[in-house]
Amino acid sequence: MSNTSLTRRGAALAAALMSASLVLTACGSDGDGTGDKTAETRSVKADNGTIEIPVDPQRIVTIGNTNLPFIDLGGEPVGVTEVSASDLDVLPEKQRTAYEAAEIVGSNGGEVDLEKLAGLKPDLILVQFHSNDWDKVGKRLETIAPTLLWGLDTEWKAFADAIAEAGNVADALSRQKAEYEEKVAKIQETYGKIIDGTSFVDVSRGDWNDPGTFYIADIGCSEIARDDVGLDLPEAAEGKDPLAYESLPFEQIGGLSKYDVITYPVDAEGRPAEPFVPVVETNTWKALPAVSSGRALGVFCPGNNSYGPVIRYLDSLDSALATLPAKK
Amino acid sequence: MTALAPRQDGPGTETVPGPRRRLVGLVVALVVLVVLLVLSVMIGSTAIAPSVVWDALFHSSTGIDRFAIRDFRLPRTIVGLVVGVALGLSGALIQALTRNPLADPGVLGVHAGASFAVTVAVGLLGVRDAQGYMWFAFAGTLIVTLLVLALGSTRQGSSPVVVVLAGVCAGAVLGGAREALQLTNPDAFDAMRYWNAGSIVGRPIEVVWPILPFFAVALILALAVSGPLNALALGDELAVAQGVRLVRTRVLAVIALTLLAGGATAIAGPIGFVGLMVPHVARWIVGPHQRWIFAYSILLAPSLLLVSDILGRVVMRPGEIPVGIVTAFVGAPVLVALVRRKKASGL
Repeated sequence: MSNTSLTRRGAALAAALMSASLVLTACGSDGDGTGDKTAETRSVKADNGTIEIPVDPQRIVTIGNTNLPFIDLGGEPVGVTEVSASDLDVLPEKQRTAYEAAEIVGSNGGEVDLEKLAGLKPDLILVQFHSNDWDKVGKRLETIAPTLLWGLDTEWKAFADAIAEAGNVADALSRQKAEYEEKVAKIQETYGKIIDGTSFVDVSRGDWNDPGTFYIADIGCSEIARDDVGLDLPEAAEGKDPLAYESLPFEQIGGLSKYDVITYPVDAEGRPAEPFVPVVETNTWKALPAVSSGRALGVFCPGNNSYGPVIRYLDSLDSALATLPAKK
Repeated sequence: MTALAPRQDGPGTETVPGPRRRLVGLVVALVVLVVLLVLSVMIGSTAIAPSVVWDALFHSSTGIDRFAIRDFRLPRTIVGLVVGVALGLSGALIQALTRNPLADPGVLGVHAGASFAVTVAVGLLGVRDAQGYMWFAFAGTLIVTLLVLALGSTRQGSSPVVVVLAGVCAGAVLGGAREALQLTNPDAFDAMRYWNAGSIVGRPIEVVWPILPFFAVALILALAVSGPLNALALGDELAVAQGVRLVRTRVLAVIALTLLAGGATAIAGPIGFVGLMVPHVARWIVGPHQRWIFAYSILLAPSLLLVSDILGRVVMRPGEIPVGIVTAFVGAPVLVALVRRKKASGL
C-alpha cells in the first residue's frame, strides 16, 4: 500500500471523527435556555488584556486569590484551587458549602491540573496569582476558556469590582459596598473623638514567623483601618517595603509602649490568634502601658480581599473600640 | 620563654606551641568568650542602657527593658553558648574520627535527619513551636546516625570512609524526601524557612535544660576518647599497636558527636560552618592534640556563634539576620584568610 493512499485514508478517518464529535457535542447540549446568553459576549479589561467573555458565564473556575472573593459575592464556581485551612475555618457556612461543592483543580500555589480543569468545561476562568505562575500556565488556560488575570498588587476594592463585573454578580457587590460604607461611617461617627489624637499600632505574628519574632501590621485589615476608618496607624515610608515584611525580635515589644492603643489578632471567639499567643505570654507584653490599662484590643480579621470579610473585621473593630474609655 | 615543640605528625618543619603557650592561649580564648557573653547581653536590636542591663541581671526589679534582658537576651546568650560548645566539640570529634579536616557533623546525616524529622512534625503532625521541633529534631538525628552507623558497618568493622559515604547517602535521600514533603505542604515550607536558616532567637531557656544531660554524657565520652583519637590519627594499625580498641573508640565518638550535634541542631536548627571551621583553627593553634583541640573548640565555637549573633542583631536594625547565615559570612572569610596565611592543618 502506498504512502499516499495511507494519508488519504487517515485524512478521511480524521474528518469522520471530527464530524461525529461535532454531532455528539450538539446532542450533548443541556438545553437549559442559557445557550443564547452564554453565546453572547462582552469585553472585560484585565491585566492580560481586553478579553471577550460570556455575558452571563455559567461555569466559572476560580484560581488563586479569586476563589473566596467570588464566593463571597454569592458566586458558585464549578472549579477552585485549594485555600488554606485557616481561611476555610473562618468562612461562613454557606460560602464553605459553595467552596466544597466545587472541584479542586490545583494547589493554593500556581499548580493547576489543566486536564481536570478542561474536563469541567468552564466558560470563564478567573485568576489571581503570581506572575511567575501565570507565565507557566497562562497561555494554556486561555486555550481552555476566556481567562481573566489580575496581579497580586491589585487593590482590593478594584479587585472586588472586577470579580463582580466578570462573574456577573454586581448586585451582590452593590449591597456589600453599601453595608461597608455604612459601617465605616458609623465607626467614624461613634468613635471620632476617641480616634482623634490617639496613636494606634497593629501588631501581628504568623505561624511562618521565626520563633521569637513578630511584626507591625500595616497592610491588609490594618490598611483599611488606617486609610478608610482613619485610625492613626504607622505605615512604611514612601517607596519602602511594608512594615509587615520585617520580622522584629520580641525584644522590640517594648517599643510598642509609645502607642496609646495596640490592636492584635484574635480568632472568631476573641482569643488571641494561635501564632500570636507567644507574644501575649511574654512579660514585656504584659508590662506595656496599653496592655496593663486595657487598651490592647483584640480584633478579628477573617480576610481583606473582599467586602464580606472586611465587613466582619469592621464589626470586630467596632466592638473593640467600644471598650475604650471616652475622652473627656 | 617560648615553649615551642616539634609537631608530632609532621616532618619536623613546623612547630606548635608548648603546654604553657597553649594554656595562655586557652585563657585568652576564655576571656574573649566572657567578653562576648557580656556583649551579647548588652547589645541588641533595641538600645538599653548598661545600668538597666545591670539592674535586670542582679536585681529583681520590673520594667519593660528589664524583662527584655531577662526574658530574651539572657536566654539567647545562654542558648548561643551551649549550642556553640556543642557544635565546636562535635566538629572536632568528627574531624578526628574521619581523619578528614573537611568533615563536619553534617556528613553523618545529622542535619538531614533533624530537618526531615522537623518537616514531618510540621507538615504531617502540625507541630508549630520551637520546643515541639526540638524533640523531633533530636530523635531524627539519633535515628539517622544509628542508621548510618549500621549502613557503614561491614563484616570487617566500620571504616570512617564507609560511614561517611553512608552518611552522605542518607543525607541525600532524606533531603529529597524533605523537599518532596515541603513542596506538597506549603504551610510546612513556610514554617520551616527560618528553622532551616539556623537561629537562636526566641528559644526560651527551657529548651536548654532537657538537652544538657545529653551534652554532659557526650562531654565525658569525648574526653574518654580524646587519647585514643590521638593514636587513631596515626593510622589504624599504629593505633591498634598502641592498644586502642578501634570499634569501641569510634562508636563512643559517634555517640558523643551525635548527642552534641543533634542537641545543638534540635535547639537552633542546622548551623553549618562552626563545626567545620573552629576545629581547624584550634588545630592550627595547638597542633594535633585532641584534648587541646577539644578545649579550644569548646571556647572558640561559642565565641564565633555569639559574635555572629551580635552582628546579626545590629546590621539590619530593626530586623535581624539569623545566626546561621551570619556565621557563614563571618566564618568563611576568616577561614580563607587563615588558609592563605598558614599551611592547612593535617590530622
